[in-house]
Amino acid sequence: MNRIFAFLQQRPYAFALLLCIVLLALNIIVSPSFANPTRWPAILGTFAPFALVGFASTPSVLSGGMDISVGPLTTFISVIFIAVLMPAGLGSWYFSVPILLILATIVGMINGILVAVVRLHPVVATVGMLFILIGLSQTIAPNPVQAADRWSAGLARTLGFIPGALLTIGAAALIWFLLRRTAFVSNLLATGDSDQSAFGSGVNVTAVRILAYGLGGLFAGIGGIALAALLQSSESALATTYALLGLAAVVLGGTSLLGGRGSMLGTLFGAFAIYLIQQLLTAGGVQSNLIQFAYGIVLVVGVLVSATLLSARQRGKVQ
Amino acid sequence: MTTTSTVVNARLDAPVVPSRWTKFRFFVLRLPILQLSVLLALILWLVISIPAFVNRLSIVSVLILAALLALAALGQTFVVLIGGLDLAIPGYIIVGAFISSNLAGGAGWPIPLALLMTVVICGLVGAFVGFVSHRYNVQPLVLTLGINAALVGGTLFVAKANFTSAPPDALRALTAINGTTFGLPIPPILLIVLAAVVLVWLFLTRTASGRRLYATGTNARAAELTRVHTGKVWTLTFATSGITAGIAGMFIASFSAGWSANIGEPYFFTGLAAVLLGGTTFGSIHGSYTRTVLGALILTLLSTIVLSVGMSESESRIIYGFVVIAAAFLYGRERHVRNRF
Repeated sequence: MNRIFAFLQQRPYAFALLLCIVLLALNIIVSPSFANPTRWPAILGTFAPFALVGFASTPSVLSGGMDISVGPLTTFISVIFIAVLMPAGLGSWYFSVPILLILATIVGMINGILVAVVRLHPVVATVGMLFILIGLSQTIAPNPVQAADRWSAGLARTLGFIPGALLTIGAAALIWFLLRRTAFVSNLLATGDSDQSAFGSGVNVTAVRILAYGLGGLFAGIGGIALAALLQSSESALATTYALLGLAAVVLGGTSLLGGRGSMLGTLFGAFAIYLIQQLLTAGGVQSNLIQFAYGIVLVVGVLVSATLLSARQRGKVQ
Repeated sequence: MTTTSTVVNARLDAPVVPSRWTKFRFFVLRLPILQLSVLLALILWLVISIPAFVNRLSIVSVLILAALLALAALGQTFVVLIGGLDLAIPGYIIVGAFISSNLAGGAGWPIPLALLMTVVICGLVGAFVGFVSHRYNVQPLVLTLGINAALVGGTLFVAKANFTSAPPDALRALTAINGTTFGLPIPPILLIVLAAVVLVWLFLTRTASGRRLYATGTNARAAELTRVHTGKVWTLTFATSGITAGIAGMFIASFSAGWSANIGEPYFFTGLAAVLLGGTTFGSIHGSYTRTVLGALILTLLSTIVLSVGMSESESRIIYGFVVIAAAFLYGRERHVRNRF
């Protein structure tokens, strides 16, 4: 038993992975069609915005801060894509994708500058940004606008023979994978663990933080495209729904909100676990309000389990 | 070497005379001068641009809106003072709204029983949050996020999405715009919130418990070493947050004569903005509830002005965002890494 705990403690993402496996099995039992490969592209398509909002929350949390505004940023980007770029004739992928990603990265970097240079509390700065983004989304598209150009629909289903969601999630994962080959990620983790020590050993803490929030913005931008691909209309009302989902995925994935400890893989599993819970309860015919209730309880229990049984720090304190 | 030591000695021996600018900064930090002047400016702007605004009904309705917002942000102020964040506020509000509308209004429960039930449910949930997040070193942010989803989902399930009932007339009279208290033409809710302001002020500045709250927020470890039971402070603070938000929910449902699934959300985000705008920051010694009330008044006036100018609700959100960032820029700046060794 102790060896199992030790295994889980060394791998923060293992708990979420375990949860995913159990939930996946339950999902397949409740609705056997879940295992049918022809449904996978659509399943991945609905999962992609979830995962990407989770990805977007991760770098800032790892740097020891927090970005509450990534959910609204995702909605904002999808609104810009469908309600602004498409009517303006910039809807084709070679115009819209770079514009949207650059815009999202800039918004993320503004958050980073507010936190690292202006030195505001991360929650305060990003709550301000959250207000601005929600307000902008609702001002631009008070009512849902249907997408005129439907090239992006493939991203939520299949492009050729590959599931389109693999492209969006894969792009973000590839960016992170490549960054892990550079000094950036280790500097990020060092900054999150103790910014004083990192600063003392010559890490440019300010630049690392700004880049972390910018990277979060970039992932949120990809998430916005995935969301637009899924909905094919601008739903500014979704802004607050996605606002805190990303953080929940991050925490279930074993990433510490204190910074410096965690992984993108954990976030992926955390997001998948949350997604599977919702799918399972929907397939089981449970009322949507109870789904929300169950989601809340699972989040609380998950956080408690990872804080008590699986936290090496806590055990160290007891001994 | 000698020069350095003499300088140090000189600093130690001679009385330190702070510069005028330092004095001014401390003055501004200690008293909410800035918020008061912004509030006065907004009042002037409103009175000059819309002279018709100066009548009893519109003033009272603005005050009621601000009072409800301030009540919803009371607990959040305490939580922010000890360095946490309570995302479960919408959940507590919806529980209060459900109990006052469907149980007290629809099922005809007596009001004291409804109040007791709100206090017990929200208080216990809040105490659980505070205790657990302190005991197991969990960030209250995530815990309250889960609790919020559970509360909202659970309440809507119990209510079976029945939004037809409204709180009983006795409750609605407390928040009615033309309500009277003991014959005075002031709605009782305003006096309730005013009493809360005075009580909280007395509690924070004149009692040992209030000092313990500040001590816990400023430096939990130092507080623990001076024998403050920080766990108790956390438990009670989050319980207070739950109770006050639940009661605020009862009043909010009374004021809007009914409730809906997302009745709490705007009060959570705007309430947090009111706390931050007032100048209370996480674990700060400069925060207080009076500041939150000022923040709530400023935000309510701001949205009144924004709506009267013809801008939409969503555009006022954008302005809220800038205002929060600007306020934090003046108050809530942290020290640079190099000054924190």
